[in-house]
Amino acid sequence: MLYAYWYITKMKLLTGLAYRFEVFASVGTNLILMLASVFLWKAAYSGGTQQVNALNLQDLTTYTILSIMLSSVYVCGVQDTIYRKIRDGQIVTDFYRPIPLLACYLADDIGGMLSALINKVLPLFLFAALFFGVPWPSSGINLLLFIPCCLLSYGILWLLSALVGLIAFWVMEIGNMGMVKDSIVRVLSGSIVPLWFFPESVQTVSKFLPFQYTYQTPLGIYIGNIGTREALAAMGIQFIWIAVLFMLLAAGWKRTKTKTLIQGG
Amino acid sequence: MVSSIRHYASVAACFARLAIQRQLEYPLFLFSWLLMIPIQYFSGIWMLKIIVDRFQPLNGWDFPELTFLYGLGLISHGIFVVFFINTWHIDHMVIDGQFDRLLLRPMNVFFQLVASYVNFIGLIDCIPGIIIFIYGCQLVGFEWTFFNVIKFLLVLAGGVFIRAALFITLGTIAFWTKRNASMVGFALGMLERGTMYPLTIYPHIIQTLFTFVIPIGFISFYPAAQFLGKSSDGLQLPLSFALMTPAIGMVCFFLSQWIFRIGMKSYESAGS
Repeated sequence: MLYAYWYITKMKLLTGLAYRFEVFASVGTNLILMLASVFLWKAAYSGGTQQVNALNLQDLTTYTILSIMLSSVYVCGVQDTIYRKIRDGQIVTDFYRPIPLLACYLADDIGGMLSALINKVLPLFLFAALFFGVPWPSSGINLLLFIPCCLLSYGILWLLSALVGLIAFWVMEIGNMGMVKDSIVRVLSGSIVPLWFFPESVQTVSKFLPFQYTYQTPLGIYIGNIGTREALAAMGIQFIWIAVLFMLLAAGWKRTKTKTLIQGG
Repeated sequence: MVSSIRHYASVAACFARLAIQRQLEYPLFLFSWLLMIPIQYFSGIWMLKIIVDRFQPLNGWDFPELTFLYGLGLISHGIFVVFFINTWHIDHMVIDGQFDRLLLRPMNVFFQLVASYVNFIGLIDCIPGIIIFIYGCQLVGFEWTFFNVIKFLLVLAGGVFIRAALFITLGTIAFWTKRNASMVGFALGMLERGTMYPLTIYPHIIQTLFTFVIPIGFISFYPAAQFLGKSSDGLQLPLSFALMTPAIGMVCFFLSQWIFRIGMKSYESAGS
């Protein structure tokens, strides 16, 4: 059973490594984003500003670099996969597979992540180190907390993606809602500008939404802006969100299947 | 001459009607774009406001001026996307063999390439652009005198031509490599960061690059600096330089046409 998933993961990993030209361009695009954001922060801190919200320029540089590396490793192809397969009808043959479909898509995305780690994150890290110095974590213990926190973040992002993908089963005429979700996540996750700088009211609302636990929490741990105890509490909240989203997905998926059968019948 | 222009115009109108009808066939399909594009750009300007509020003006550019710059860059992007989006798809056309079809018709190939797809959906990009620009004009107290309007329109046209020239040149690469789709994302990222933020926040080497090599500074930064009477304190350029946008746009455009023609010579049909 597990072997089947590993096979999917491995195939995706190998195809991911095969497309050199795409990788080159993706690294280039992310590099431009990274340079532009870091220079924007430099301009914001220029002329004597030392610390804002207990963060200095070095913290934000590290935050930005890591944020862009995370965004290229968090592969959530599932929303596009579902959308595409429903549009061209391939979803039917996928339902014939003897293993759970969503788990297949997850295995596929994990393969994408592994190849991205090698051919996107590594070059980005090297370029960042070259331009701005190595973005070290604030301490060893924070690095240890950062890694599990990133995995939980990915869980939230992937479940959100799969949920948005399900919308296509009902209303595929409205286009790919995944793009809409991505543009909301980009702002509210703190991936570009940390939410700590946002107005108080936005920060309060954001505490009750899953988004800030996808980028800001792990990155905050990495730069040491979130202490150990707070980090553990945040990881607890991440767990809760994963459980909630997972139940939503399971319920939605069950109803979706009957919906597809009706369409096909 | 006149009859040939009339012929081209009638073909362009026909193409445009077809393209718009094709895109309006599934109107609900636009829904996700209609949500996503405004979210993306309004949040972009919102984040600039957050940074300026918490920190300080960016190299002397305060929020009203940043809004003006951002809006100017975004409108020229929107107009570009309406008229020239097919320059993003040259590689598809080469691989599918659609490009052969253009070569067989007795008309200018580049004209057919561009005219055959008027991207009606691109108007969605213009909506946040126009709103942000007008808001920026209000904030900075931009005077809509006759002279200023003419200058604004010239700058806009020049900016669109600079963008078009860049993507035509990139698209030409597909004649040799057969693929360049990912270059489009790369160029878009560069254009967005280069035209919507003040160029002076970047190091001198990047400013030089974006002024003399890939002149995207002329799309919005130099014109905005002149409209607002700001010194471009990075590179010391005379301010009248900024109004060269239309001229630079035309030069780049003709250069890219020349490159496109060279590229077409090495085009070999990908069909089997």
